[in-house]
Amino acid sequence: MEREIVLPGQLLSENKTDSGPGTYVKDGKVYSLLYGIKNTRNKIAVIPFSGKYIPSGKDFVIGTVIEVTPSNWIFDIGSPYDGLLHVSEYPKRVESDRMPGIMDVGDSALLRVKDVNPSMKVELSMRERGLKPLKVGRIIEVVPARVPRVIGHGGSMVSMLKKETGCEIFVGQNGRIWINGNDSDLDHLTEAIEMIMQQSHTTGLTERVCQFLRNEKDVADAEESIDAEEDLAEEEEAEDEDESEIAEDTYRKVDALLDETDE
Amino acid sequence: MNDKPEKFIDENGLRLDGRQINEIRPMTIKIGVLSRADGSCYLEWGNNKVLVAVYGPRELHPRRLQKSDSALIRYRYNMAAFSVEERVRPGPSRRSIEISKVSREAFEPVVMTQLYPGAVIDVFAEVLQADAGTRTAAINAASIALADAGIPMKGLVAACAVGKVDDKLVLDLNKPEDNYGQADLPIAMTQDGDITLVQMDGDLSQEEFKQAVEMCKEGCRQILEIQKEALKNKFADDTAVNIPDDIDEVTYVEAIVEFDIEEDEYPEEDDISGESEDEDEDTGSLDEEGEPEDIEEEFIDIVEEAADEEEITEGSDIREQ
Amino acid sequence: MKRRLLREVISVSNEVVSVLKRDYIYNLMLKGKRIDGRSFDQVRDIDVQTNVIDKAEGSAWVRLGDTEVLVGIKLQVGTPFPDSPGEGVIITSMELNPIASPDFEAGPPRENAIEMARVTDRGIRESGAIDLSKLCITEGEEVWMIFIDVHVLNNSGNIQDASSLGTIAALLTTTIPAERAGKGDDMAMPVTDIPLSVTVVDIGGSLMVDPGLDEETVCDTKITIVSNQDGSISGMQKSGDGALTEEQLLKAVEMSCAKATELREAYLADISN
Repeated sequence: MEREIVLPGQLLSENKTDSGPGTYVKDGKVYSLLYGIKNTRNKIAVIPFSGKYIPSGKDFVIGTVIEVTPSNWIFDIGSPYDGLLHVSEYPKRVESDRMPGIMDVGDSALLRVKDVNPSMKVELSMRERGLKPLKVGRIIEVVPARVPRVIGHGGSMVSMLKKETGCEIFVGQNGRIWINGNDSDLDHLTEAIEMIMQQSHTTGLTERVCQFLRNEKDVADAEESIDAEEDLAEEEEAEDEDESEIAEDTYRKVDALLDETDE
Repeated sequence: MNDKPEKFIDENGLRLDGRQINEIRPMTIKIGVLSRADGSCYLEWGNNKVLVAVYGPRELHPRRLQKSDSALIRYRYNMAAFSVEERVRPGPSRRSIEISKVSREAFEPVVMTQLYPGAVIDVFAEVLQADAGTRTAAINAASIALADAGIPMKGLVAACAVGKVDDKLVLDLNKPEDNYGQADLPIAMTQDGDITLVQMDGDLSQEEFKQAVEMCKEGCRQILEIQKEALKNKFADDTAVNIPDDIDEVTYVEAIVEFDIEEDEYPEEDDISGESEDEDEDTGSLDEEGEPEDIEEEFIDIVEEAADEEEITEGSDIREQ
Repeated sequence: MKRRLLREVISVSNEVVSVLKRDYIYNLMLKGKRIDGRSFDQVRDIDVQTNVIDKAEGSAWVRLGDTEVLVGIKLQVGTPFPDSPGEGVIITSMELNPIASPDFEAGPPRENAIEMARVTDRGIRESGAIDLSKLCITEGEEVWMIFIDVHVLNNSGNIQDASSLGTIAALLTTTIPAERAGKGDDMAMPVTDIPLSVTVVDIGGSLMVDPGLDEETVCDTKITIVSNQDGSISGMQKSGDGALTEEQLLKAVEMSCAKATELREAYLADISN
C-alpha cells in the first residue's frame, strides 16, 4: 500500500470523489489540508502528525477539573474547548454544595462526550459503566492524532499492553491515557507508550513493543525479590476486580468506535 | 551607519554579497524545535534568525474577542532587544504592530479557521537576529510552524521581497540594499500564486512593478520548494521513515470537507442550580463564568494600551534593520 | 454559592496541577526518585552555545533540559548615575515571551519576569563580577551601559538558572565596541568572577536541584542561591507560598553552592571572547 508524507495544499487526486478526511476539494481536485501521512483506503485521507483534540460525540476522554460551578464541573480535556459535566450526569445524586467534595479542581476523571453543539459547547457524561473519578494511577499525555496507534486495530495494541504488563489502561481519544498497576509495571508501560509514539510511523510496531516489554519483564523479574513486598502492598490498594472488568467493556467501545471511523 | 555603497551591482552583474540579481539568500529550516509549542520552526535566511511558535487552536480569553463561527488568528511579530545594531526597547512598537497585522492577514486566506469556532490560533514570531527581510522570513517560518502544529490549511504561504538598487530590480534584499535601495516590495503568496501580503515603499514604474511581481513569484516558488523539502525531511533521520503498511486501523481525522455546521436551535441557557436531567434546562453557564475573568483581562488591556501610547509618543518608526 | 475559580487556586503558576501528577511526584520523592529519573542533586543536560547573535556584543543560547533561553548583551554609551559617577551601568531585562509557554501572555513583564530579571541582575551586580570602574569613559559624563536581555524561548522549568548561566556566559564572550563608538580601543568585558545561580525546590520536605516544569509547578517553595568562584554567596531569593526550615535552608545553600562549582567547571571554564 502506498504511504506518503503529504503537505497542506498538495494535490492528491484529480477525482473529487476521492476526498476523505483531512482533504479538501477545489476545482474538482482533491488536496491535502494537513501535514501528515496519506492513507488511500477507499477514499484518500490524511492522518496528521500532530494537532489538537477536537471533541465529538461519543468520544471517551480523560479530563481534569479546572472549575466547579453550582451545577457543573468544568473539565480541561486537552482541547480548545472545555467540557461540562452537569451534576445530573454524575452517576449518583449530588447536592450542589457537595460537588467539590466529590471532584475538586485538579482531580481527573474518565468521561464520555455526550454531545457537542455547533458552537462547540461540550457536554460530558459519567453515567456509564467504567467511567469514574480517578484516585490512583498515572495519566500519560500523547499526541491525539496518534491515539489510534496505542489502541491498535481492533484494540490489538492495547490488549497486548494490558496482557504483558498486567496494568489497567484507559485510552482517551483526547490523547490522555490513564494507567494503573504496580509501579515497576507502570514504568515499563510508560516506556512502551513512549516507544509507540516515537515509532508510530513504522511497521511491525505491536510486535516490537511486545518484545520490549518481555525483555523489560525479564530484567524486572531478576530484581523482583527486592521489590516484591512493596509491590504487593500497592496492588492490594489499587486492584479492584470489578473495576478491571468494567474497563474491559470500555475498551470494546473504544475499539468499536475506531472501527467505525476506519471506514 | 552612513556606509552607503557606491555601487550595489558590479560589472559582472553580481551583488555585494556575490548573488545574482534573481538569487535568494541561503535558507535553513528546523522544524519542531520547541517542546512547549504545538508547532514550531527555526529559520535562518542569510543572517536573519527567526523562531516561530504556534499555539492552538486553544481557548480564547477574553470571551468578547471570540468569533462564534471561526477561530481567531493572532500573529505577534516581535524583535529581540539584541537582534539589531541599536538595542530595541522590548515590547510592541508601531512597526511591529503593523507587521503583525499584515502577516496575520497573509495567513487568513489559507488557514481553515471555520473548523474551530470560538478558538484562537496564536502565531508568535521572534526575530532573534535581523538582517533585512525579517517579516518575510517570519512568514516563511510561520507557514511551517502552522503545518507542524497540525493546523489545517489550504496550502503553505511563502514570502520574499524584491527591491530596486542601481535602477535594477533585485530579489531578496540584503541589508545595504534594504537600507539604501530605491524600493522594497515584500510579497507573500500561496502556492496557487494568490497574493496574501503586499507592501511597498520607494519608487517603481508600473512596468518595473510588473516585473518585480514576477520576480517575487519566482522567489516564492523557490522558497516553497525549500519549505516542502524541510517538511518532507523532518522524519528523514528518524528510524521511522519507512512508512507503515500496517495502519489499516485509522483514518482518525474529521472529514473536513464533510464538516457542515448545522444551525441547530439551542436555547440560551441560564444558570439554574436545579437538578433536572432535562437537557434543555441544562445549566451550561459558560457566559456567566466569564465575568471575573473579564475584569482581569480588561485590566491587562488597559496596561497594554498604556504601553502602546507610550510608543506613539516616542514617535517615528524604526527602519527595518 | 461556592465558585471556585482556577485563578484563585493557582497562584504561583497558570498550570492546573493534576492531583494525580502531584501525587505521583510526591510518591516518587518518598522513594528518592524524580519524575525524569534524575537524582535529587542532579541537573538536567546542559548545552551552552556562545556568540550566536552577531548583532549582539555577547550572546549565549542555553538549553537546560528542554528549557531554552537566549541571552544577548548590548552596550551603549550613556550617563552614569549621580551616586556612582565613575561606574558603568547594568540593566537587566527579561521577557516571558508567549512563544515560550502556553501560560505566558503578551504584554509588559509581570511579577515573575521582573523577579527573575532582578535575581539575575543581583547575581551579576552584587558579586562584583563586572569591574564597573573599567566601564567608565569620562567620570560623571560618559560610561558604558550594559544591557542584558534575557529572551526566554521555551519554558520547561527553572528559567532562573538557565538565565543566570546564559547571562554570565554571554558576558564572558562580550567585547565592548569602543572603536565603533569612537571611544578608544575595543576591550573584553572586565569579568572578574563567575556568579552562578542554582535553584533548589522543596517537594514534601525533600530538596532537589534544577526543578523541571512539573516539579516547579507542584513544589511548595523554591530557593535560588547565587554563589561565586570562592564559594561565597552573592544573592538569594525564596519564592513560592511555602516555608523552609532553617535546616532546609542551610542544606539548600550547601547543595546549591556545590552544584554551582560543578557547573562552572563544566560549562563556563573554557568560555571567553
